[in-house]
Amino acid sequence: MNRPILRMSFVLLICLSFLPFKPCAALAGEATDQVKQTVDAVLDVLNNKELKKPENREIRTKKIREIVNKRFDFEEMAKRSLALNWGKRTPEERKEFVTLFSDLLENTYVKKIERYENEKIVYLDEKITGQYAVVKTKIVKAQEAEIPVEYRIFKEAGKWEVYDIIVEGVSLVNNYRSQFSQIIRSSSYEELVKKLRNKTIKETK
Amino acid sequence: MKKVNDSFMKKLDIETAVGFFLLIGICSLAYISIKLGNLEVFSSNGYTIYAEFDQAGGIKPGASVEIAGVSIGKVTEVNLDKYQALLTLQINKGVKLQDDSIASIKTQGLIGEKFVQVTPGASEKYLIAGGRIRDTESAIDIESLISKYVFGKV
Repeated sequence: MNRPILRMSFVLLICLSFLPFKPCAALAGEATDQVKQTVDAVLDVLNNKELKKPENREIRTKKIREIVNKRFDFEEMAKRSLALNWGKRTPEERKEFVTLFSDLLENTYVKKIERYENEKIVYLDEKITGQYAVVKTKIVKAQEAEIPVEYRIFKEAGKWEVYDIIVEGVSLVNNYRSQFSQIIRSSSYEELVKKLRNKTIKETK
Repeated sequence: MKKVNDSFMKKLDIETAVGFFLLIGICSLAYISIKLGNLEVFSSNGYTIYAEFDQAGGIKPGASVEIAGVSIGKVTEVNLDKYQALLTLQINKGVKLQDDSIASIKTQGLIGEKFVQVTPGASEKYLIAGGRIRDTESAIDIESLISKYVFGKV
């Protein structure tokens, strides 16, 4: 009478003992995996000793750009940042703006990334709702504080693409959205394009 | 006989007048309490949408929802949903919000009231009643930010 229960509990125990071996696979979803892939690829480039040399600096920057370009949807980011003004622009203007915007992001952030020094990246959580998802991570600096970074991603053709980053609770897109609309309101769209272009020229010098 | 009838009429007149004034008094009282209490008796115009935040930090029902500093609605409910704050927003009729709008919790001035700021987006799709603002920015906790950089981490 007692046997089957005993056997069942035994089987259950064995099953349970196997469980802890696969917690990562169960926890990290597809979205986190894809973000992690990109982040790891960037870290690989950053940790590459050969590429750290000053003469290889340009190659390193180029490599980082390539990796980031694959995961980040700059068009969507530019569109969201331009917000209401996006609809008023012609397709050519939009195309030009996307290029300028991605240059701006690259110039601003690639430099920041390059200062990376053995910070650890912890993947905390992901939440998928339909086509959209949020991947929560944090960057743990050796001694100082930890910086929460959230990736807002959406699925397009089976691939998750980043459309916004939230650092310390501040959205990148929202930041540019308010800046751009302010510049456009106080002067004009042309002025904004001029400003972006000047900035790119200055940074790449 | 006539005199009795007359006084009766007079009494009725006074009573009607008093009753009439009392009625006006009650009506104004009701009006004032509805106005002051921000109550909505008649079905309100507009539609409700939802927004999820990690940190609702001090938002209370009745807080205003603004675009460019102009009120376009208000927060009607603040609930906890899966350990996150779920705000129910009542948006005025005629205000259309793009589905990539960003809702952020902001403070009026340094220590003022909290409100929900919406920045309109670029999408051609608009949020419908019962929709959800996906992109939100939580209240920034200045205290924890300061302590983080002042004291560091263990």
